[in-house]
Amino acid sequence: MPPVEKDAGKNELKSRIQQLIDANQVVVFSKSYCPFCLKVKDLFKELNVDCNVVELDLRDDGSNYQEMLLEMTGQKTVPNVFVNKTHVGGCDKTMQAHKDGSLQQLLNGEAEAYDYDLIVIGGGSGGLACSKEAAALGKKVMVLDYVVPTPKGTTWGLGGTCVNVGCIPKKLMHQTAMLSTAMQDARKFGWEFDETVKHNWETMKTAVNNYIGSLNWGYRVALRDKKVEYVNAYAEFIEPHKIKAINKRGKETFYTAARFVLATGERPRYLGIPGDKEFCITSDDLFSLPYCPGRTLVIGASYVALECGGFLAGLGLDVTVMVRSILLRGFDQEMANRAGEYMEGHGVKFIRKFVPVKIEELEAGSPGRLKVTAKSTETNDLIEEEYNTVLIAVGRDACTDKIGLGKVGVKVNPKTGKIPVNDEEQTNVPHIYAIGDILEGKWELTPVAIQAGKLLARRLYGGSTLKCDYINVPTTVFTPLEYGSCGLSEERAIELYGEENLELYHSLFWPLEFTVPNRDNNKCYAKIICNKLDNERVIGFHYLGPNAGEVTQGFGAAMKCGATKEQLDGTIGIHPTCAEVFTTLDVTKRSGGDISKAGC
Amino acid sequence: MKQVKMAHRLLLRTVRSLSVKETRCLPTCTRITSHSAYSTSLRSAAHRVSFLSSSRSLTRSSQRKVSFNVQDQEDFTERVVNSELPVLVDFHAQWCGPCKILGPRLEKAVAKQKGRVAMAKVDIDDHTDLAIEYGVSAVPTVIAMRGGDIVDRFVGIKDDDQLDSFVSKVIGQ
Ligand SMILES: Cc1cc2nc3c(=O)[nH]c(=O)nc-3n(C[C@H](O)[C@H](O)[C@H](O)COP(=O)(O)OP(=O)(O)OC[C@H]3O[C@@H](n4cnc5c(N)ncnc54)[C@H](O)[C@@H]3O)c2cc1C
Ligand SMILES: NC(=O)c1ccc[n+]([C@@H]2O[C@H](COP(=O)([O-])OP(=O)(O)OC[C@H]3O[C@@H](n4cnc5c(N)ncnc54)[C@H](OP(=O)(O)O)[C@@H]3O)[C@@H](O)[C@H]2O)c1
Repeated sequence: MPPVEKDAGKNELKSRIQQLIDANQVVVFSKSYCPFCLKVKDLFKELNVDCNVVELDLRDDGSNYQEMLLEMTGQKTVPNVFVNKTHVGGCDKTMQAHKDGSLQQLLNGEAEAYDYDLIVIGGGSGGLACSKEAAALGKKVMVLDYVVPTPKGTTWGLGGTCVNVGCIPKKLMHQTAMLSTAMQDARKFGWEFDETVKHNWETMKTAVNNYIGSLNWGYRVALRDKKVEYVNAYAEFIEPHKIKAINKRGKETFYTAARFVLATGERPRYLGIPGDKEFCITSDDLFSLPYCPGRTLVIGASYVALECGGFLAGLGLDVTVMVRSILLRGFDQEMANRAGEYMEGHGVKFIRKFVPVKIEELEAGSPGRLKVTAKSTETNDLIEEEYNTVLIAVGRDACTDKIGLGKVGVKVNPKTGKIPVNDEEQTNVPHIYAIGDILEGKWELTPVAIQAGKLLARRLYGGSTLKCDYINVPTTVFTPLEYGSCGLSEERAIELYGEENLELYHSLFWPLEFTVPNRDNNKCYAKIICNKLDNERVIGFHYLGPNAGEVTQGFGAAMKCGATKEQLDGTIGIHPTCAEVFTTLDVTKRSGGDISKAGC
Repeated sequence: MKQVKMAHRLLLRTVRSLSVKETRCLPTCTRITSHSAYSTSLRSAAHRVSFLSSSRSLTRSSQRKVSFNVQDQEDFTERVVNSELPVLVDFHAQWCGPCKILGPRLEKAVAKQKGRVAMAKVDIDDHTDLAIEYGVSAVPTVIAMRGGDIVDRFVGIKDDDQLDSFVSKVIGQ
């Protein structure tokens, strides 16, 4: 037990310090020789703010001050900065607060007492990853997620696009379609079974959605376990540090936070022609459609269009894809066309250079009958055709227009609705960050959103400096013949490096699995693009064939390590596989040499 | 309409508390205090049963329904937390295959106890907050509550024998 007098002395010192803090806008406990203290003092000078400096090294009782400050703030080092009665911290914290705008706010006397350290808007791939990581780093975090129903009334649970209406149901339905091919092959391998094979949409839909239900629950549990506060409500900014949350009953609640992360993702775009919202569906409706869509028209040639059209055809449906110009804009066009040709060879019809002008309902039902009128993009030709279902897949719009960004001054590209950020995912408003699909000029992929969200939280709260690397991101389009790529398309590589500085190696290949059923010879294709100016480093990787995702992932790692053509050649293949083709590429594209393959 | 329901409820309450009291007066009731405690708990249990079946006809509701579906947080507080009978709470989900196997098995085990234990069913997607509050991470999760306290729990599927012994342990036989 300390003597009473000492206690009294301590209390006296404490109240003296407290008085200092209470009476001055800014108090800096400092040491006259300390460069960090100088930096902080200079900052306030620069901001034209009067600050009360206590130089601890120039006082006899300086060390007592320091002990007491430790007790009061948990911080022993100097500078120890207080602004408007709020403890800001040391030099780094003060500089950071200056950078993210919270210092200014404190100086303006705006109450620092925010409800949360971080509020994340959007509980999808990026938002969940970011909020969980921030909470794991000890921050008080809230995440809000709310799904606005589609015009058809479809809605879903926690987890965002990928889990509910994207990657997961898409891949499972693609798998459903692949099983049909496997069944046909099976006969050639000697399996005998009854001829009547049919597919039950409802069974598939229920199984897929049951799995999704378990994932939704898993996310909810993870938020609880990581101590992230979850609110099922639509968020919109009303002040720079304050949002309004509206739940499904229309109840409004307000929350404040020091920082915000926008992760609101995108929703399918409609065409803006008569009948589109009334009668058509999008990918947001397809995966939980209660009935088999029947004869289907897919509008658009985005990856969503080709993937959905592909698996619907694989289920045995009559599928037509209406293409305005090219397939898979932005992807390597040689690969896109080969993937398209394969679809065409497997029963998918393509109507090229046409756009729909109106959709009419001939008969309601599940599915009903729709009449589509379309117009040529080149002539005045009009065509009319009947379908059971029309699936619109003409791109997606960022959900950035109804969240009050105008009120807080966050810059949005007016044409695309996308948000420009710096290389640390920071918007033009320093305390507001953005990740995932809504970013301008970045990949729209789940693992990218997750990585960006996680790294952002670590930089904000874990002292990390690691930034998300958006270069050489591997990806796969799950068309009937899958297409995996990493790095540059041929077009983009030529644009960046010039044709003369590139060497392209390519080959057709025939997967062993296809040989016995004797199908699809010379449809699978491999191509790499090498930079001759840099030791034939691989800058583009393209694979069209089975299990493209599994194949591409590993080569993605190799490219991250800077793999060269020589290193690929030095790698021993795994036989018999498809991926081994990349270890034996010896025909350059410019040579025009024969690339067809026949067995080992 | 309301009055008719009330009448049903009152009538049921008397019928039920009588019949249940009979089954409860077994050698296990050793102490007077516990005996009186039982009778109050039985009354409230009976009230809940009748409340559940109040929309049904009198004849139908006189058959014992083994479990009830929790309607909301308030309902949970009233019929589970405030219940003086022990209650098994079956947290389940529509998308969960094993839940569909466990649910009926558990009902069977509870039915064997002839009213000494109640069973509540909570759909975790309809009542997410409850499931989150009670620490449910995977389904099926069964928690045993007594006097508002969790006295036991298990996750996943169990066979009939295991369920019987779980239920007996909860009742404290
Ligand atoms: C059909 C389809 C297939 C796909 N397949 C793949 C694939 O195979 N592989 C792959 O990597 N990627 C795939 N993607 C892309 C992937 O789904 C996205 O890149 C990813 O989900 C983006 O994550 P995000 O966090 O940016 O947004 P999202 O996951 O879209 O999450 C945003 C969330 O925020 C919610 N929200 C929006 N506004 C508000 C608000 N104001 N308040 C509260 N909540 C709000 C939304 O409802 C949503 O839940 C696919 C996408 C589609 C459409
Ligand atoms: N690997 C990847 O994940 C990857 C690759 C490329 C792009 N992306 C990004 O993913 C985002 C969304 O992808 P997405 O595939 O859904 O969309 P997208 O790339 O924007 O493609 C939209 C498709 O719809 C067509 N289209 C647009 N408006 C149309 C109209 N009015 N009538 C008919 N067709 C119309 C486009 O045709 P036109 O070609 O004629 O315009 C295009 O085929 C894009 O914004 C892009 O940045 C991702």
